[in-house]
Amino acid sequence: MKLVDTKGLRCPAPLIKTRQALNEASAGESLQIIIDNQTSLNNIRRFLSDNQIAFSVDERNSEWILTVDRGETSTVADNAESYCSTASAAAPKKTVIAITSDLMGSGDEQLGQKLIVSFFKVLPMVQPLPSAIVIYNAGVKLAVKGSVVEEYLKELENMGMDIVLCTTCLDYFGLSNDLAAGRVGDMYQILNIMNEADNIIKP
Amino acid sequence: MIFDLLTTVEAGGCSAKIPPRLLEEILSDMPLPVDPAILVDTSTHDDAGVYKLNDDIALVLTTDFFPPVCSDPYEFGLIAAANSISDVYAMGGNPVLALNIIMFPADRIPLEVYSEILRGGYDKAKEAGISIIGGHSIDDYPPKYGMAVTGIVHPDRVITNSGAREGDLLILTKPLGCGVILAASRMGMASDEELNEAKRYMKMLNNEGSRLMQKYNIRGATDVTGFGLAGHALKMAVASGVTIELKMKNVPLMSGTYEYINQGCIPGAAFRNLDYVEQDSVFSNGVDYNLRMAACDAQTSGGLLISVRSADAKAILDELKEFHPESTVIGSVHKKGESSLVIGN
Repeated sequence: MKLVDTKGLRCPAPLIKTRQALNEASAGESLQIIIDNQTSLNNIRRFLSDNQIAFSVDERNSEWILTVDRGETSTVADNAESYCSTASAAAPKKTVIAITSDLMGSGDEQLGQKLIVSFFKVLPMVQPLPSAIVIYNAGVKLAVKGSVVEEYLKELENMGMDIVLCTTCLDYFGLSNDLAAGRVGDMYQILNIMNEADNIIKP
Repeated sequence: MIFDLLTTVEAGGCSAKIPPRLLEEILSDMPLPVDPAILVDTSTHDDAGVYKLNDDIALVLTTDFFPPVCSDPYEFGLIAAANSISDVYAMGGNPVLALNIIMFPADRIPLEVYSEILRGGYDKAKEAGISIIGGHSIDDYPPKYGMAVTGIVHPDRVITNSGAREGDLLILTKPLGCGVILAASRMGMASDEELNEAKRYMKMLNNEGSRLMQKYNIRGATDVTGFGLAGHALKMAVASGVTIELKMKNVPLMSGTYEYINQGCIPGAAFRNLDYVEQDSVFSNGVDYNLRMAACDAQTSGGLLISVRSADAKAILDELKEFHPESTVIGSVHKKGESSLVIGN
């Protein structure tokens, strides 16, 4: 296990160190990269996913530990010829998440709440990241201050995800002034986002 | 050197722009002016606004300023001024007048630095043949400098983002890479020669390119700055209702650029630009990752991106090369396809 500590470094130094460590790591050796700022995290994630290098992210005390398993298949191409992106022939697929309730699934309320927390916790690690979340009906309760998923929604927003909250629903529940994350949209905007999606995930 | 300006900033030059996606969102909420004399407004994301005074003269108005891109205040003044004036050239205009815009912390940096920045601005203005007739200064940290520049153009000869036509070829007049080289220099990776080359390009006026565009009746062009080649090409494609194809292997890069990107020296602005362009772009199969990021590298005072009828391409290129030897055809304009921009090898 190789450790790359990028704490205290500003962009693009963390990426340079990551790139260097990837070059030096032997096949099969895994790599842990410690990152302390959101911009560097986003850029390194982007770099790794564009180069088809699998990784996982773990957040601890406002630091992120990014683990890269460097198998034989995940080498970064060093020259133009050998680099071949598999997913780039067509535009990337657009995935949209529709949150229709403050619970995940139906059957048991307590379980439903546990599941929705877990859903949002895992969502930032999913690659490729869905492009937008639309939230309506009781789902909007998740986007207000003090919600059980507040921090994850903020993280997703920082990662560039478009989070759209149904304005009618916020009004209905009287929550319009307590938003923690996302922007407010009407049915036209929500429908357009869903209409342009290739996939819709409804947890 | 009296004071190293780079100690005041983390990101400089056009790298310091607001992310293009955010900017578009904000501007989309602003009312567009309604006045028949306005020939170009913000709706086409052009480099400058154009206002018709009479049948012979239209005003070209633009402003630009940013935090330091280099250590030396005089050089920073030269670069910031060249960059500000460039927007008038990109519209095919003749710059005439400028106002200084300066933000400077008088109690934190020696005042001599202030006058050195301005001296750079005045020298570049002189080279461009324009007069600085005023300005505005604010006490602020880190320092920022630029100009509001006014130029003139014939109302029928305005060159805009929306003038690229199917079948045209695209010429770029300066190599890419100054964002990467500036970052690499700050990381201690780039050599003095590489940094000096980047600064030389940033100081270079686009005046000759502009003159030749008028000579060859060009209608579509822009200058490549903070949104990178890909970002500006995309804006041009959208404004013109066409699809632009970039051939990245034909794009000249400043020395060291490819190697530093390959080592991971990719400024944050390049990722922001990538994030912006990919909503309406396709990277064709097998396009080199490093070239893809070079296309997104934010340029300061970059070259002109000129859309020229293919029949005229050779002639204008031959003339451009006298002043900008790296000028070359880097892409082509096609009927609007599924995506507005195709980035290939």
